[in-house]
Amino acid sequence: MALSSLKLRMGRTLLTLLTVAACCAFLLFLLTAPISDDPAERQMWGLMITLSLLVSVAGVLNTMLMSVTQRYREIGTIKCLGALDSFVMLSVMLESALLGLTGAVFGIIGGLVLSTLVGLLEAGAGVFAAAYWTGLWWKVIVAALVGLGLTTLGAAFPAAVAARMPPVEAMRGEK
Amino acid sequence: MPEAAAKTKADYWMADLSQAVDCTVMARGVEVVYEMGSEKIHALQGVDAQIFTGEYISIMGPSGSGKTTFFNVVGGLMKPSAGSVYIDEIDIAQLDAGELAWLRCRKIGYIFQSYNIVKVMTALENVMLPMLFAGVPQDEAQNRAVEILTRVGLGDRFLHTPKELSGGQQQRVAIARAFANKPAIILADEPTANLDLHTGEEIIALMKEMNREEGVTVICSTHDHKMLDISDRIMWMEDGRVKKLARRDEVDIKIDEFEEENKA
Ligand SMILES: Nc1ncnc2c1ncn2[C@@H]1O[C@H](COP(=O)(O)OP(=O)(O)O)[C@@H](O)[C@H]1O
Ligand SMILES: [Mg+2]
Repeated sequence: MALSSLKLRMGRTLLTLLTVAACCAFLLFLLTAPISDDPAERQMWGLMITLSLLVSVAGVLNTMLMSVTQRYREIGTIKCLGALDSFVMLSVMLESALLGLTGAVFGIIGGLVLSTLVGLLEAGAGVFAAAYWTGLWWKVIVAALVGLGLTTLGAAFPAAVAARMPPVEAMRGEK
Repeated sequence: MPEAAAKTKADYWMADLSQAVDCTVMARGVEVVYEMGSEKIHALQGVDAQIFTGEYISIMGPSGSGKTTFFNVVGGLMKPSAGSVYIDEIDIAQLDAGELAWLRCRKIGYIFQSYNIVKVMTALENVMLPMLFAGVPQDEAQNRAVEILTRVGLGDRFLHTPKELSGGQQQRVAIARAFANKPAIILADEPTANLDLHTGEEIIALMKEMNREEGVTVICSTHDHKMLDISDRIMWMEDGRVKKLARRDEVDIKIDEFEEENKA
């Protein structure tokens, strides 16, 4: 039973990782790929970005909330051993930040690959010219920060739930 | 300890209070009411108890009699609906969240029925945890953890995680963890309930040895009458009240009697 719940949790974590990665990839792609000036098209891209951000935050929220509720007794125990609320909060945030960072790394790689492929179609071999990639560094940094920001935002509520959980939970029940 | 042949509970308190014995825990008129929707459950209905420094006290009573609730209140895990709990003469209701965390960290060691070893950590890390919370430097905490794990008989199991340990071994880790910060009180809520009889006896014997060696007050709840032999005093609970509190030598002959009485 423990194994299947672990698998379930792994699956959920992987899915969240994927949404965060997709979001970062998408963002980086939009930042690097040349977008048309057509306002309707711009609006559509904006909408899609907002949507993917929301999906990611919701995914992180769900994953971290599950992670916290599944560990009620463990968190209670740690509090019995003297952990402060702030420590519990921080450890949940850290776990989620790790998720965000991993997602961002994969997302950035994915985004760059995507941009290169699309660039090849549109600009041919020109895509390999340095000029095509101006300002790449800050674009990568923006994508990474967005990935981290997403997970922080999504983890804030679960972290607060964990921090406020009463230590009595540790005493509860058999298995 | 009172030498008078106290018979009733009231006599007991009079006797206790007249003695200038160090008292680690004092409960006065503790009541706990759980609210489940519109229903109210009176889990503790006025519990008075004095627990002396360094003694090993067993708490007995049928399931649902309020043992766990009593532990929660004494351990600073729950605020009573009425009455107060003093630990080393401090009314714990007066403590703020940070002070309570400090109390749980340094003053109290908890041992649980289901061990509660942190799954992703090794035995060593589990024992180090409360010391790190107490601000003990890493290497010092590690040395003490090695020392105390060796003491509880797990000298060759430092790096095992709970799933690689038997129930009895996990409970030994829990004992080492509870004693890590040299607390004043050990609260053990049915520590042997998930163990077979033999392992349970070993665990109780270990707790008794630690109680003697370290001079720590041990409060341990159990269903098993065999565990009574090593107790200094025994407290019986029923329906959220203290039914009886007596020294071991006073109940010597009465255990069978008491069991008979309880069956009726
Ligand atoms: N969290 C809770 N919510 C509601 N009722 C509870 C809760 N915990 C315990 N109780 C009730 O309080 C009474 C005492 O329970 P407990 O202290 O767990 O007894 P014991 O540990 O002796 O079995 C029981 O009737 C139990 O059902
Ligand atoms: Mg209980």
